Amino acid sequence: MHARRWIPYAFLAPAFIGLVIFRFTPICLALSGSFFGQSIRGASIFVGLKNYAELIGDPSFWSTVSTTLIFNLIINPFQVVCALALAMLVRRPTKLVDVFRAAFLLPMTVSIALTSILWSILLDPTLGPVNGFLRFAGLPPQPFFRSAGEALPTLILVATWKGAGYWMVFLLAGLLAIPKELDESASIDGANAWQRFFGVTLPLMRRPLAFVLVADTAANFLLFAPVYIVTNGGPNDATHLLMFEAYQSAFAFLNQGRSLAISTIILVIILAIALVELRLFRSDDGSAA
Amino acid sequence: MALSRRRLIRSSAASALALAMPHVARAAETTLKVVWMGWPDNQVLPLMAEFEKRNPAIKLAVERMPFTQVFQALEVRLNARTSDPDVYIVDSPLTASYAARGHLMELDALIDQSRFAPSAISAASYDGKIYSAPFGTSMQVLYFNRALFKAAGVEPPSSAIAGRWTWEQVLDAGRRIAKPAENLWGFTFEQQERPYQLLPLGQSLGGVALSPDGFKATGFIDGPAFVEGFSFMQKLYTEAKISPPGQFDTALTPELFGSGKCAMLLGGTFINDTLRAKFAELDFGVAPHPYFAKGKPVTPTGAWHFGVNPRSTRKEAVAQFVRDMLSDDINVLWFKLRPYVPTLNAVWQREAATFSTDMWRIVQAEMQSTALARPATPGFREYEDILRVTLRDMQAGGNVKDMLAAAAQKIDREIAKYKG
Repeated sequence: MHARRWIPYAFLAPAFIGLVIFRFTPICLALSGSFFGQSIRGASIFVGLKNYAELIGDPSFWSTVSTTLIFNLIINPFQVVCALALAMLVRRPTKLVDVFRAAFLLPMTVSIALTSILWSILLDPTLGPVNGFLRFAGLPPQPFFRSAGEALPTLILVATWKGAGYWMVFLLAGLLAIPKELDESASIDGANAWQRFFGVTLPLMRRPLAFVLVADTAANFLLFAPVYIVTNGGPNDATHLLMFEAYQSAFAFLNQGRSLAISTIILVIILAIALVELRLFRSDDGSAA
Repeated sequence: MALSRRRLIRSSAASALALAMPHVARAAETTLKVVWMGWPDNQVLPLMAEFEKRNPAIKLAVERMPFTQVFQALEVRLNARTSDPDVYIVDSPLTASYAARGHLMELDALIDQSRFAPSAISAASYDGKIYSAPFGTSMQVLYFNRALFKAAGVEPPSSAIAGRWTWEQVLDAGRRIAKPAENLWGFTFEQQERPYQLLPLGQSLGGVALSPDGFKATGFIDGPAFVEGFSFMQKLYTEAKISPPGQFDTALTPELFGSGKCAMLLGGTFINDTLRAKFAELDFGVAPHPYFAKGKPVTPTGAWHFGVNPRSTRKEAVAQFVRDMLSDDINVLWFKLRPYVPTLNAVWQREAATFSTDMWRIVQAEMQSTALARPATPGFREYEDILRVTLRDMQAGGNVKDMLAAAAQKIDREIAKYKG
């Protein structure tokens, strides 16, 4: 019996080692790197909190933070709602449901880089087929990524097209785990579809929803590829997100310390928001989501 | 016959030697890792093959990258401070930046300065030493589609330097030809977002793009001349709608012109051969670079060089690469493959017959009197990146003065680290 106490830890060890190597170590390196600067010849120089102080005093950094928070405030609930709606649609084993499930999952199989390139071509204001279709339908063509007013909403829609199917899988698993008898008995008691959804389904989806919301929040705060490939943070900084600012600081402006400081700040923001989200999904008896 | 011990030893040794020979031969070969611009296969492969033919013991592992990605990709590789790559393409104004950061080997011992145009050696130098090898410079001309001008009843521009069009004339002609709803455009820049292409707009009005010491943008790039010049550029996309917006891929704009979708293209001399090869039916002419009527003609120039990684472990091979690539024969070959303006005097002499066309007469006149290189600063990388995004954003509208002021502040912040 005493000898078998190590067995659970042995099973956990590979995952834990992976976490340490691929998560905790880079986080520690980023945190320590944020206290250093670099000479133009590549030598590291300890600068203390200078990188953070410069960020706090930089209006363009605050503008980027504001853009990122607005982006996440919209896209996170929007993507979760879309994913839940898709999951509800493909929940019942009807005819062709497998076809629809596969169709909703297809965007997940396309890499984010390719997604960005494809949508930039489709939404090109001059040569893109989407505007060609709009003109054909007698509607005015749209600037999409080329307009400061439309670029961020367009980015949200493209990211949702890519991500909704992925998160749908988790929510579908949660929906399929709900015993059918609960829904049936509510129906027998006279509850309509909306009442069953809000009274039975949603409360039982608390944990899957919490997981999807927190994971989706992290993913969207780290969104980079579409901004790098399509908009370069523009037009007029309309899509200048924090991850792009971190990338630019490191590779365009050769300021590794500033880049790592931004990465650390992103991590802190994600942690804070995740804690708030988990608290929101805490059940009435106080148990965690 | 019985196998004696001596015979067994002899045959084993012979077998071992025969098996080892390919490995020995391979070990005697050197491979140079080269990062090059993503020019077409038919323009790069023959160049590299020629070098390998002359140097059978040196193989070239050439990685070509698209124009929009090569500079940032090089930053990642060079900042790792390894021996990779051995040789890489250098946009001439980046020579100072790379040299200041210790990414380029001094080449004074390998380059005979007297063989090159003085401006080429100047562009290759930093702090009094040569750090990059000149491999051709550039000039822009105004290509125009004769058929589109005729169909619109507009007189096309003249090829004579004395008949140089103003920007106002370009705008007027563009307005009369363009039909944006039918995807027919009046004018486009080849490089819609690049400072290389667009700085002459402000410089034509007397603007200075950066302080003489190369460390201050505020008060220069955000001055009245550039505000006016870039406001004119913005008008081409927003108010006048004669230019197709968002065409930042430099491969697309010549395609638009070549396929008859755009009446005028301001682009490099190398486009000429591409148009003739790919769009044989296209009836086009060339004219000098436009200027503002109240200003003076200014044309962009500036060069492709290549540089050597000082951390390369293959010093003999890279030296041979530099010597051969700067030889008269290979420079003539390069000129024939992709006709950039030559920096090597020998090419001008050997290809004298080529330079009798309208385009080359314009080029020679411009190189003598209107060509202005990009500003010299070790922070050119940051300067160009920040300004490029700002110029791109201007197409969508917005206050040009405010945008330039914000860009100038960012540039000053980032260039400061090079002051030492």
